Amino acid sequence: MTTLVAIKGGREGLRLHLDEAAVWSDVLGALRSQLNQGAQFFNGARVIVDIGNRSLSEEQLAELMALMREHHLEAAALASTSCESRSAARAAGVVARPVTRSAAAPEAPGDAMFVWRTIRSGQVVRHHGHVTVVGDVNAGAEVVAGGNVVVWGRLRGTVHAGALGDRTAIICAIELRPTQLRIADLIARAPDGASGGHPEVAYVDGDQIAVESWERYRRSNRNDP
Amino acid sequence: MSRVITITSGKGGVGKTTSTANLGAALAMQGLKVAVVDADIGLRNLDVVMGLENRIVYDLVDVVEGRCRLRQALIKDKHFPDLCLLPAAQTRDKDAVTADDMIALTNQLRAEFDYVLIDSPAGIEAGFRNAIAGADEVLIVTTPEVAAVRDADRIIGLVEAFEKGHPRLIINRLKPRMVSRGEMMSIDDVLQILAIDLIGVVPDDEQIVTSTNRGEVAVLDRSSRAGRAFVEIARRLAGEDVPITVFDDNPGLLNRIFGAFGIRPRGSER
Repeated sequence: MTTLVAIKGGREGLRLHLDEAAVWSDVLGALRSQLNQGAQFFNGARVIVDIGNRSLSEEQLAELMALMREHHLEAAALASTSCESRSAARAAGVVARPVTRSAAAPEAPGDAMFVWRTIRSGQVVRHHGHVTVVGDVNAGAEVVAGGNVVVWGRLRGTVHAGALGDRTAIICAIELRPTQLRIADLIARAPDGASGGHPEVAYVDGDQIAVESWERYRRSNRNDP
Repeated sequence: MSRVITITSGKGGVGKTTSTANLGAALAMQGLKVAVVDADIGLRNLDVVMGLENRIVYDLVDVVEGRCRLRQALIKDKHFPDLCLLPAAQTRDKDAVTADDMIALTNQLRAEFDYVLIDSPAGIEAGFRNAIAGADEVLIVTTPEVAAVRDADRIIGLVEAFEKGHPRLIINRLKPRMVSRGEMMSIDDVLQILAIDLIGVVPDDEQIVTSTNRGEVAVLDRSSRAGRAFVEIARRLAGEDVPITVFDDNPGLLNRIFGAFGIRPRGSER
C-alpha cells in the first residue's frame, strides 16, 4: 500500500507521489488511509501532487481535490507528464507543470532534514522524515516530522514526531521544556516544573507519552540501534 | 553612506516610538543629519512624542501620492535643526502605501540624510512589511516580559525571512531591582531566548512618561537615565564601541557596567 502513495520533502516543499500505473480507486484509497493516519502532519500543508504519466480525467482530478480538501491539504501544483492531466488541472484552477523524470526518483525512507538555526515563534518546519535542529525551538514554533525529532538546543515550542502515525518515533532535546509534545496520535502537555537540566527523551510508553532522562533511556534501550 | 534603520517590535506599547524619537535626537546631537519617519499610518504618534503635531501640513501619504514634494512634508525639529520628521497620515490606513512606495521614499531620503529611522507599526501585517521594505538594518524593541519577548521572536523570524540581516535588540523598561529579586526576566533570560545581538538596555524611567507627554525627548534631559541609555545606543549605532551600561533605579548610580566583552550577546544563527 505504501508504494501507491509516497510523501517526500524536497527543495520546493512536500511532494505527494501517486503511483502512475495502479488502479485509480486503489490509489485514492491508499491516499485516504495515509491522510487519516497522518491527519496532523498534513493539516494545512501545501504539497505538489506528482502523478507521473497517469492521465487524469477532470472527474478523477475533482475526486482527488475533494479528498485533499477534506483533509485540509492544499495542492500547490500538479506535476504530470501527461498533457491531458495537466489541462484537467488547469481547468480546475490548479497550477500544472510537466515532470522531469529524474526528479521523480524516490528518496530513502530514512531521509532526514537538518535545520541549522533557531526556529522562532510562528515558524513551522515540516518534513516527512527525521528532523534534527541544531539550535533552539522557541515557544510558538512548530516542528512536524514523519520520523524522530532531535533538538540540539532548547525545545520550548511544539514538536510532533511520527506525525504520519509512527508511535515508535522519539523526541529528544538537550533541554526539553516544550509547550506541547505529540507523537503519532498522542498529545502531551508540558510537564509542570522545569526540565531536569539534562538531555531528555520523549517516547511512547503504552498509550502515553513518557519523558525520561537521556541517560536512563539509553540504559534501558541498550540493545536498540 | 546613509543608513535606513527600522525600529519594530511585534507587540504594541513596548516603546518603538519613544525609541525612534530619542535615537533620532541622540544621533542629531552627534551632528548627523537624521530623518525620522512615522510608518504607523492611521495611528500616528511620533509627531506627538516629538511635540511637532501642530506643525504638520503634509504627510507621508501626500508625498507618496504626489500631492507635495518630500521637502514640503519634512518638519524640522524644535531643538535640532538637523533632525526632521516625516509624519504619518492620520486619516488613512496601511493600504495607502505599498512596499515599493516605501522603498522609493527611503531612497529619496537617503540623498539628504545620514540616518533614516523608521518607526514601524505593531503587528506583522502590511504596515510592518512596508516599514521594513526599505530598511538596511532593523532594531527590535522588547520589554523584559514573556509576551513581548514572544512577539519579538516572531518578528525576528520575519525580519530574517525578508533578508534584512541580523536585527539588533533594545531591551526597554528594565527594572534592575525587580530582576535582582527574581521578579523580572533578566537581560540574560531575554538574550537566551532571542539569541541576537544586544545594542542597549533602557531602564524603566518615570520621567520618560512626563517628557513624552510634554513632547520633549528624554535625551535632552541629562538627568534622565532612559535618555542617557538612548544616547549610548545612538553612539553604538554610529559604530562607537561603548560598553553597555545598566542604569539602576536609583538615579545616577551605575549598577553594573558590562565591559565590551562582559555581556557578549550570542550571535544569532551562524
